[in-house]
Amino acid sequence: MDVVRSASAPARAEGSVRAPWAERLAGAAFVLPGVAWLAIFFLFPLAIIVVVSFGSVDPAGHVTLAQPGLQSYAQATRPEYLPAFANSIRYALITTVLSLAIGYPVAYWISRYGGERKTLLLILVMLPFWTSYLIRTYAWMIILRDNGVLNSVLMAAGLTSDPIPLLNTDFSVVLGMTYGFLPFTILPLYVSIDRLDRHLVEAGRDLYASGSGAFLHVTLPLTMPGIVAASLLTFIPALGDYVTPDLLGGAQTTTIAKIIQVIFTSGRDWPDGSALGFLLMAITMAGTLLALRTLRREVLA
Amino acid sequence: MTGRPSRWLTGFTALLYAFLFAPIVVLIVFSFNTSRRNFVWLGFTLDWYPKLFENQQLLGALAVTLQVAVIAVVGSTILGTLLGLGLARLRFRGAGATETLILLPMVTPEIIMGISLLIFFAQLFSLNGSLGQIAIAHITFCISYVAVTVRARAAGMDPRLEEAARDLGASAFGAFRHVTLPLIAPAVAAGAMLAFALSFDDLVVTAFNAGVGSTTLPIYIYSSIKFGVTPAINAISTIIVAVVSLALFVAWRLGAFRSAKVRLVEEDA
Amino acid sequence: MSRDGERRVEVGGQRARVRPIDFETAVDAYLVQRRWTRRELLERMAALGAVAVLTPIAAACQAAATVLPSSPPTQPPGSQTGLASPTATPAPTPQPTPESELYVYNWDEYIGPDTIAGFQQQYGIQVTYDKFPDEPTQIAKIQSDGKGGGYDVTYPASTWIHSLSSDGVLLKLDQSLIPNLANLAPAWMNPGYDPGNGFSVPNYWWTTGYAWNPDKVPGDLTDWANLWDPSLRGHLAMLDDMREVFAVGAFRLGLSPNTTNPAELDQILALLEQQKPLVRIWTEDDIGDLTSGQVWITHAWSGDWFQMIQDKPNTKYVIPSEGAVRGNDTMVILSGAKHPIAAHLWLNYNLDPQVSANNTNAIGYMGPNLAAQALIDPTIVNDPRLNPPADVQAKLVELGYLAPADLDQYTQRWNTLRA
Repeated sequence: MDVVRSASAPARAEGSVRAPWAERLAGAAFVLPGVAWLAIFFLFPLAIIVVVSFGSVDPAGHVTLAQPGLQSYAQATRPEYLPAFANSIRYALITTVLSLAIGYPVAYWISRYGGERKTLLLILVMLPFWTSYLIRTYAWMIILRDNGVLNSVLMAAGLTSDPIPLLNTDFSVVLGMTYGFLPFTILPLYVSIDRLDRHLVEAGRDLYASGSGAFLHVTLPLTMPGIVAASLLTFIPALGDYVTPDLLGGAQTTTIAKIIQVIFTSGRDWPDGSALGFLLMAITMAGTLLALRTLRREVLA
Repeated sequence: MTGRPSRWLTGFTALLYAFLFAPIVVLIVFSFNTSRRNFVWLGFTLDWYPKLFENQQLLGALAVTLQVAVIAVVGSTILGTLLGLGLARLRFRGAGATETLILLPMVTPEIIMGISLLIFFAQLFSLNGSLGQIAIAHITFCISYVAVTVRARAAGMDPRLEEAARDLGASAFGAFRHVTLPLIAPAVAAGAMLAFALSFDDLVVTAFNAGVGSTTLPIYIYSSIKFGVTPAINAISTIIVAVVSLALFVAWRLGAFRSAKVRLVEEDA
Repeated sequence: MSRDGERRVEVGGQRARVRPIDFETAVDAYLVQRRWTRRELLERMAALGAVAVLTPIAAACQAAATVLPSSPPTQPPGSQTGLASPTATPAPTPQPTPESELYVYNWDEYIGPDTIAGFQQQYGIQVTYDKFPDEPTQIAKIQSDGKGGGYDVTYPASTWIHSLSSDGVLLKLDQSLIPNLANLAPAWMNPGYDPGNGFSVPNYWWTTGYAWNPDKVPGDLTDWANLWDPSLRGHLAMLDDMREVFAVGAFRLGLSPNTTNPAELDQILALLEQQKPLVRIWTEDDIGDLTSGQVWITHAWSGDWFQMIQDKPNTKYVIPSEGAVRGNDTMVILSGAKHPIAAHLWLNYNLDPQVSANNTNAIGYMGPNLAAQALIDPTIVNDPRLNPPADVQAKLVELGYLAPADLDQYTQRWNTLRA
């Protein structure tokens, strides 16, 4: 897909007829509408979250900045919220690792052995992504329920007499999240692997006298940028994933995203919710900055 | 160069594809199930499909979703294409910062975007959710995807092509219109399709910006799942899968996924 | 033309001075007194000549105006806050003519199958019956213009009456138009959420207990304490409803489910935290989760249990001995109702014993109608779980209104529990 397959921009030829200042003006003019939109409807609201997080709620239920302070952050960092934070991080980490472990071999296969059908195979990987995330998560509910497909098969095969509780558990949440994020993982991995110079791999095979040696010492290090990009593209959205833990999880799998949603929809304590939201953003920010640097190289270059 | 792949690797890959498609197959199969509540196969029926068309709430939600999607696609495609072009073809100060700005929405958790827009509209404008509000939110998160897609294609385009057109006497705008635009058109189309898919499917950001009368299809499906699942949801899902697959197939045939490399044909000396 | 658009009319040689609006109202008053429809009026005019018919009307215009509830399209009914104006004429209060339409806004599958048709037949009023999928949609809709969002009648939970009436969304009821109020059981004559039923009429009521699958959970369960049994770990569902869950804790500790005392709330929270490891889901679909086998036992509303036994007949339900919540919803008329008479008739109609019994028999929720009890399906009315005897009812508690600051106390602890 065009998003990740791109040649590096060729150098500008000499004798370019466009004057630099006109070019800069044109560039700014092109870019201005989009930037303005994002500034108003993306950056500014994010800034508002931060501002609101320093406020409080008056008796009438409105947010007020009369006494700005860190009380919302004190609320947000209560030890009672720790399990939810732990869940969010745990699920995101496991999902990322699993996705990488599963996605890498597949990306490798498509790149190396896909031949003429590469594009088709990639489209097939992306197809589930294009159909609704919500619907696919729901499909897993059907499969994993106590009286669902999987349990019915297991019981019919005589492997178990009682249904195994699969839904509403850590297992179902991680499974659903991994499933949902696999395309996000496979694509950057594929791009990185596809760029590999085959000759290097062959040379490695000669040097290390084994396929696995070549893999460990040549392929893996050279595709590391892709691995990093894939991890970040998976980990960061996974941290904030609301839908999967909500539908496939239960009372014991609450995540921070769910808590934020509960606060904003049933309570009036928006400062508290904003503080939690900001904390979630802060946790992802470090990873985001890292992701941006890698993404700019891998996706935009 | 292409040696024989190990059987394990091939098997693993095949298994993965099965894993990716199994839930969707299950979904489709059970849309024909007679049982109302349980997901044990009881019998075959086509009844759930005609019932969909009698469901006023569902049809209303679909209408809202489509309206929002159209607005989102138009808005984000225009803004995103301009962004992508500007970044790829033209050099200006702040290009780096702009690139960062584009990528930020792609890595911001949806729940954060949802609540930020909720607070923005509610606190500053006392708005309680509406179709327009949803559309604005959708444009906001779709711009990035269009911009990235167009930028990639535009950057891969040989700049000498445009220069050649200029040399041949075309104006700057004419060169743009007759050379650049057609060349990036597939990327614009792909970006637009991507924006459509994202908008059509969005739940979290939409839920925070929806009001009475602006329920979208994902919100409707989500409530139905929470409050009592029936195979009717499977039926809607199957239709959505079919429509999206068809759209993707058409796009593929039209060449939307073809490589971005376009080279100037070298003349013989 | 003179002041107020007063016009001189010449009717059959006789002159009269009428004001346009008064003329219409006078015609209506005239019709009502004789219990004619407008069509009959025209027929008589044709038969007897206009003068004979119109003269009394012209004369009536001279008399003090009677503010009539049944208003023609020219007069916006929303401007009226009451129906029988206190400045009514000394003439006997007439039976008002209902409008020809009615807009009702209700849950899906929440009424007897023949109720709408029966009403339409009896009164000749066309009913437009819209449904909402959930409470937030309903409340948002009726609050959207502050007057009911275009509807005449809707069915809010009793906990909403306080805020809706003080926000002016509800029409004060003219109880003279709802004689069937007399059918209410004494317990419903003066409910805490709406003294004297000034703004609402009770619709269905229910208890919140718990239901279980006896195949998986043998034995006779009678208390809330049973829900803390460690053997239920991973097989229990509690309702995703803050007030209801806290009420369970309150009942176990002998506290009021409406407490606002922070220390008491902390005690309740501590008790609920002990239960939390046993909970598999905070459910919004108690019916589905139990009948599909996802859980063995669930916190549930009595009406939902009635639906569970349609799918799984041996499902059990109990109103726990420590006490339980009695909830109810209501029928109200919105302040912006364009068909207020018809709306009152609708409320009255649903309080008719047979209609009320039909509703209950279809949905499984008990109504507040004492006279209807004889007509309700014996399996419902004799079931102490759906229709508890007086001594059990005495231990039922309504969830009362909480001021926002008090509600925040609950919300904070609820968030803590959920995390």
